[in-house]
Amino acid sequence: MRQKKTNIDALLAIRSRQELRDQTTNWSRDLSLPNALALTKYLRTLEASSHGFNLGIIHTYTSDLLDPWLDLHAVTQGLKLHTYHAPYGMNIMESQDGSGLVLHKPDLTLFLLTHEDLHPDLKKPISEYTRDRLQGIREEATSNLIKILNKFRSNVSGQLALTILPRTQTAALGLYDAQADCSEYAWWSSLKKDIAASLQNSIESSMFIDLDQMLAELGRSQFFDLRYWYTSRFPFAPQAANELARRIISLATVIKYPKAKVIVLDADNTLWGGIVGEDGINGIALGPEYPGNTYVDFQRRLLDYQKRGFILAICSKNNPEDVQEVLTQHPHQILREHHFAARRVNWLSKHENLISLAEELNLGLDSFIFVDDSDHECAIVRSRLPQVQVIQTPNKPIEIPACLEHVARLEILSLTEEDLQKTQLYAQEHQRKNLQKELGESGNDIHDYLVSLQMKMTIKLNSKENIDRLTQLTQKTNQFNLTTRRYDQQQMLQFIASDDWTVASFSLADIFGNSGIVGLMLSRRIDSSLVEIDSFLMSCRVIGRQAETAFLKSILAYLASNNVTNVVADYLPTKKNQLVSNFYKDHGFILEKNGRYRIDLHGRQFDKASFPPIEIIHETEK
Amino acid sequence: MSILDQVIQTVAETLNVPPTSITQDSSADNTDAWDSLAQVNLMIALEQTFEITLDVEDFMKLNSISSITAFIEDNSEN
Repeated sequence: MRQKKTNIDALLAIRSRQELRDQTTNWSRDLSLPNALALTKYLRTLEASSHGFNLGIIHTYTSDLLDPWLDLHAVTQGLKLHTYHAPYGMNIMESQDGSGLVLHKPDLTLFLLTHEDLHPDLKKPISEYTRDRLQGIREEATSNLIKILNKFRSNVSGQLALTILPRTQTAALGLYDAQADCSEYAWWSSLKKDIAASLQNSIESSMFIDLDQMLAELGRSQFFDLRYWYTSRFPFAPQAANELARRIISLATVIKYPKAKVIVLDADNTLWGGIVGEDGINGIALGPEYPGNTYVDFQRRLLDYQKRGFILAICSKNNPEDVQEVLTQHPHQILREHHFAARRVNWLSKHENLISLAEELNLGLDSFIFVDDSDHECAIVRSRLPQVQVIQTPNKPIEIPACLEHVARLEILSLTEEDLQKTQLYAQEHQRKNLQKELGESGNDIHDYLVSLQMKMTIKLNSKENIDRLTQLTQKTNQFNLTTRRYDQQQMLQFIASDDWTVASFSLADIFGNSGIVGLMLSRRIDSSLVEIDSFLMSCRVIGRQAETAFLKSILAYLASNNVTNVVADYLPTKKNQLVSNFYKDHGFILEKNGRYRIDLHGRQFDKASFPPIEIIHETEK
Repeated sequence: MSILDQVIQTVAETLNVPPTSITQDSSADNTDAWDSLAQVNLMIALEQTFEITLDVEDFMKLNSISSITAFIEDNSEN
């Protein structure tokens, strides 16, 4: 039995914002407006929002009516939302210096446009045009849109998100549309594809949010409310307004909070139904029949999250051999050993295991999302490790496959090569640790281990090629980061274009694999002989291979060969970067009275013997 | 709770004003927060609270506590 209406009294009895947030899937969909208002008010009494978030909205239909829903989802995520609704219309003036939007300093600017805004010819029924003309309209609409958005991009800070309202009417040719030479739906899909690709390629920090996804999910009758459309030019039924707001605030959450990186999964009643220790490998629910098929689908979904760049880990109270047997032997198990970057299968408490997982993976607990079916385990992890986001799997198997759909931090704004390979990279790291252990046992020292890795470092200077990844590194790196300065894509492009700045990055390969781009240094020329290191950071996944030393020395050698005689640098302590507090001291820099580090490059020799055993390859572009 | 009280509560919550500021005599004309945007939200809230479906033609008429109360009394099942 399931009640159709949200039980608002039960929600108003939950005492923590995090818990309400982590149950969004259960309450969001059917919430009425009065209940949404009541819940917003209640959430505000629970906790003062910690992070401000400035949202700008450019719109060609009524947008203010989204406010109650935006506010609800913002307070749910702990965000203090300030929304600026520009005057009605796709107004270029809003992109100019001094405009309301620019002054609002938006973290995110949302464009709510309609079909007709894309091209003047789209004001007429689309069935009027020939196939060729439609092709022409598509191209003109895309280039026109990119031109306008570029104007916004050059003056407006933060992320840009574009939406185009689906047409309120169904296809002109009705049921025949799919057969037609100029099928409206097919044309519309290709237009969306063009627009999304152009955004991706030519406008930094921008994305296309496809409202058709939402339309398909809710259905036309729950998406549009034509009464408000024709009387107030507000297209959305309450469910759609709610869902759109939820999606927008998900982006806000991803922009504002530390990145989630790991999904830690319980095993029994999460990855499969039943308890393997009691029911045995043949007794657990996992396979083509209900309820086993729901767990199979959930595992497929987890693979999707891995594709998004999250790594998977197991934390289960079980005999290790029982879980091992399912991972390797069960015919319907989708997630195999190699899909998990780390595992804790033992009888220790979950919070202890999470802490040791964080140590093994070299990641902060605030990047963890913990998924478990047990009330008890969820409650303990919530209270012991409040920085971990806890999602309880539903007790109805039917609801399991979609149980992570509303976790805002599992959305992504970009997808880099490194994201796709992440689990593999952590598995390689595991192999390296084993090699080190073996060598250590046979009495060899660290140098022999490093030599045996046969490392090759590729250093690139001022290359735009991996701009996504370079930006992502400044956003995500916390531990091995000397100054923890965060930059967006626009800023990074400015550094690359500037003659004063040098953007140096490296990737590292060894016998186990290639790490991808893992290190970045931003430096700025103060005058002809003095350079300042603005940022120096490295992904924790290559810690322990002396890559940082090789990288820093190579750059210093490069600067010295360009007549730089002095380099100054800073260590700005945070809660997380204790690891590098002595980094500059250990590399020959002197701490000066003003608190900055300085190294004198006069007559300094950079001979090969002083470098770690890493072969270095330089690639220059500027 | 009487229908009148429920209507006052729904209107106050939707306009985000204290319930005491809304009376039997309140209307869009004499209440600042009751603007055209609030009117749309109010229609949504009334539909969801009283489980009724409104026609566009009703929207304009339902602009005072008295007209809303009378409408709901006329259109509810008991």
